[in-house]
Amino acid sequence: MSMAYPLPSGLSPATVTNTASLIRIVTLALISGAAIASRLFAVINFESIIHEFDPWFNFRATKVLASQGFYEFWNWFDPTAWYPLGRVVGGTIYPGLMATSGVIYNILHALNLPVDIRNICVLLAPGFSALTAWATYMFTKELKDESAGLLAAAFIGIAPGYISRSVAGSYDNEAIAIFLLMFTFYCWIKALKQGSAFFGMLAGVFYFYMVAAWGGYAFITNMIPLHALILILMGRFTSRLYVGYSSWYAIGTLASMQVPFVGFQPVKTSEHMAALGVFGLLQIIAFSQLVRSHLSSKQFQNLLFVAVIGTGILGSLAIVGLTYKGWIAPWTGRFYSLWDTGYAKKYIPIIASVSEHQPTAWPSFFMDLQLLMFLFPAGVFLCFKQLRDEHVFVIIYAVVGSYFAGVMVRLMLTLTPVVCVSAAVALSTLLDTYIDPVEPLVPEEAAPSASGDDSTTTSASGSKKAKKPVFGLSESTTTQSTPKLRTRPGIFGLDARLVVIFNAFGMLSFFVFHCTWVTSNAYSSPSVVLASANPDGSQHIIDDFREAYYWLRQNTPETSVVMSWWDYGYQIAGMADRPTLVDNNTWNNTHIATVGKAMSSTEEVAYPILRKHDVDYVLVIFGGLIGYSGDDINKFLWMVRIAQGVWPDEIQEPNYFTPHGEYRVDDQASTTMKNSLMYKMSYYRFAELFGGGQAMDRVRNQVMPKHGPTLDYLDEAFTSENWIVRIFQVKKEDLLGRDLKSANAFSQGKKRKRSKPTVRRRAIV
Amino acid sequence: MRFTYLLPLLPLCWAASKDALNTLVDLAAASNGLINLDGNTFDLLTSPKRNWSVSIQFTAMDQRRRCAPCKEFNPSWVEVAKAWTKAPKEHRDQHFFATLDFDNSQATFQKLGLQSAPVVFVYPAAEGPRQLPSGRTTPSKYDFSHGFEAGPLAEHLSNHTPIPIPYKPPFDYAGWTLTAVGGLAFLLTLRFISPILQSRWTWAAGSIVTMLVMVSGFMFTRIRGSPFTGGDGSWIAAGYQNQYGQEVQVIAMIYGILAATIVILIVQTPKQASPNRQRMQIYAFTAANLLVYSILVTIFRVKNRGYPFKLLF
Repeated sequence: MSMAYPLPSGLSPATVTNTASLIRIVTLALISGAAIASRLFAVINFESIIHEFDPWFNFRATKVLASQGFYEFWNWFDPTAWYPLGRVVGGTIYPGLMATSGVIYNILHALNLPVDIRNICVLLAPGFSALTAWATYMFTKELKDESAGLLAAAFIGIAPGYISRSVAGSYDNEAIAIFLLMFTFYCWIKALKQGSAFFGMLAGVFYFYMVAAWGGYAFITNMIPLHALILILMGRFTSRLYVGYSSWYAIGTLASMQVPFVGFQPVKTSEHMAALGVFGLLQIIAFSQLVRSHLSSKQFQNLLFVAVIGTGILGSLAIVGLTYKGWIAPWTGRFYSLWDTGYAKKYIPIIASVSEHQPTAWPSFFMDLQLLMFLFPAGVFLCFKQLRDEHVFVIIYAVVGSYFAGVMVRLMLTLTPVVCVSAAVALSTLLDTYIDPVEPLVPEEAAPSASGDDSTTTSASGSKKAKKPVFGLSESTTTQSTPKLRTRPGIFGLDARLVVIFNAFGMLSFFVFHCTWVTSNAYSSPSVVLASANPDGSQHIIDDFREAYYWLRQNTPETSVVMSWWDYGYQIAGMADRPTLVDNNTWNNTHIATVGKAMSSTEEVAYPILRKHDVDYVLVIFGGLIGYSGDDINKFLWMVRIAQGVWPDEIQEPNYFTPHGEYRVDDQASTTMKNSLMYKMSYYRFAELFGGGQAMDRVRNQVMPKHGPTLDYLDEAFTSENWIVRIFQVKKEDLLGRDLKSANAFSQGKKRKRSKPTVRRRAIV
Repeated sequence: MRFTYLLPLLPLCWAASKDALNTLVDLAAASNGLINLDGNTFDLLTSPKRNWSVSIQFTAMDQRRRCAPCKEFNPSWVEVAKAWTKAPKEHRDQHFFATLDFDNSQATFQKLGLQSAPVVFVYPAAEGPRQLPSGRTTPSKYDFSHGFEAGPLAEHLSNHTPIPIPYKPPFDYAGWTLTAVGGLAFLLTLRFISPILQSRWTWAAGSIVTMLVMVSGFMFTRIRGSPFTGGDGSWIAAGYQNQYGQEVQVIAMIYGILAATIVILIVQTPKQASPNRQRMQIYAFTAANLLVYSILVTIFRVKNRGYPFKLLF
């Protein structure tokens, strides 16, 4: 056998295996280290702080859990959220994340390591990313081998598509969910391969953990049945499939029903019906196989076949019928909008308004996965080449995952693992082929030219190499009677190997640079604290949010109710500790629409709403001064739309546009726009800031009128350094019973204007 | 003084409004429930003393006006107006559908300050029992963000009519026939195409093409309705979170080519018997990989201006 390069000889197989496993362990440890380290940019660039919006609620709930114990947390009714309704927290959340941090917190304290709960929360996501890398390694190992597994682990460790949801401080359900997703899938594949009830049970247990942790568990609920169904359709029903699926479904479903938020959904909603249906189908098929193995009569078998098909059809008809009758709830909006993509915008603007629910343009895919993006189809191709049961799983996951990721940006997260796995299979096969030192056997006619060529073109690369093919030829001619038949495909020569390996190495290094850049620049901003660059290049921290929230905390009574758009509800509750009207748990559309109506109506209309809801302060986000584009004026149309959904007579979206259909805020803005509470609060005294110069809104690039809006029913209470957060106090009713507008006019010394001179009485001629 | 003159006229006004209603009912009945307006009938229809509500489409159907959206929207409007004629008479006569063409009354367009067409205004009743609780008499505008289809239009307008518009989407004969014929053809040819259907490579091609198209932003263009190319002929949309239809094709193709080079290097080249030819292939496909990848990165740099890396160019 000819070799392209020499391998060390004389090593015992035991040494090789031991060294290989040592290297694997070291590599996995290094990958975990890299995965954790690359998620710490946020802590290094800013500080150890909880990010964004939802994490603030999770953090607050975890604090309750850590300080008051699990039962208090479980029964927690939060009267300050959704004022005046309140919120039953225990029954409306996925408690897995908080429970995980709580367990870690208690273990560390039992070990006398007094770690702050905040630091556990901040560092939970990076920690779990190391576990994800390990789970991905195990999963890929089942598909191909350990080397592909290591590549996949490295990919998922640093792929920005996953980092975007798991940087330090991003304390959200997804932080632990991807690990659970991958590990459940690994257990499922393992159960399927071995027909092992143990791994099926393990898959069920981790499925339960996943259900307790993330609403995206429905992805597993439908992926595994889909895989099982396709295996059945491919004629691959085995008792292994039966054992694996049944143990997963029975244990997983029963366990998942223990989560209060899920309850009886697994038998009552359409999202879960596929799993139930496939479970039933498997029972029918297993039963028929059992009967068939005990019977010989042909007719009876036919009868049985008909009976089985009939039962299947009856079963599915029953499910359809129950859905029709309303016993089984149809698909919920959030899931339904994945299929009918226009659905959300039409019927549930609150879902459509979330930026995570927008469709994905291709640059996002490339930004998040770069090199993996084109290794991915190659890997799927290789899966088709082998097409064992587990490869079928990866193929289904790849197709379904890429569709979902295309429909919603946030589902890029569920696509990332399969892309990493599939890309690792492709790249590892490529490297296997080109690193393997064994050269193919050369057929007779090709040999002379090949050896001659080798010696002339690659004489510089050493004589040993040039000789090898000749040697191989002599061997093959002596040992084989028909040398024309190739016994083993392979690569000739060292240079050909080096070219491909060098190219692969270059691509991988580029990927590492890309990931580091994307992570540090795009995905590590806490969004609570903003960073900008000073003219000299140094970092300037914009800390308006915390400034304003702490102002609320320090200067207002604890019971004062703050109204803001729902995006900021969790942050106000978490940082300012004040009751809010609406927050990011968007469970009550009408309540949100009420806030939307108050924001988009005139002061006179809004004031009774504010007073009826005991609102003391109104908080708006305004980016016009420093160019912060995520401000409330840019979100304003969604408030209008959501309010319009409930009060179509009073709020109409077209009224907020100019006659030309433009969305403007300068003096050409429509009257409705100019009179809306949101507009008035945002631009109140904005023009004064420019001291007679041109007042420029730097987000919308429009010149504001010299005389800004006036407020009668609210008072400016606080405006942060860069004007990002503005807080207004709602005035109490006038003591003399006048409406506040005329009271204001009176105190400013304006004469009361009569609206219309009353008709003078005159004698009718 | 003035009132005294008006007083005797008041009953006349009522009478006029009764007359107007009858005229309108006749007009509507004459033309399939859709009144074709000119300046005078428009004033009659939207008179401040109306106790009926009305929805008016302002359009410009004439060839010279080159209003493609008008032509697109008009059938839906006619359809919904026709559906309203099926409503019971006592309700039907309280709401009217009308169309005002730009060429019939340019003055009205100017009076309303309309710069574009099509526009749909819904005038609520100004008097009588159907007056809005808020007392608003000014028209509200239909929001075309739901598209030009008749279904959403009827659904939205039903908020303003006395009873919901009895609109049913027409039965899609062509679609159902096509499905039935297709299904039948599939069943009949199942014997011949089953080898194709059972071949894993058919499924491989299907899956991989689906994946490539999806990750190239196809769903983005579908949901957002992006044009195929830009108005100025450019095929790359400016901005990181935007794209045109043609980008889907180009990017999917690039991903496909790159994946193909990898697959060929893995599957095909090792089977090559001649060392020379194999070497040529390896160099060629590696170079192609590097080249196309560089092109991809260059295109990405166009989309994301701040991207600091580049390959060959």
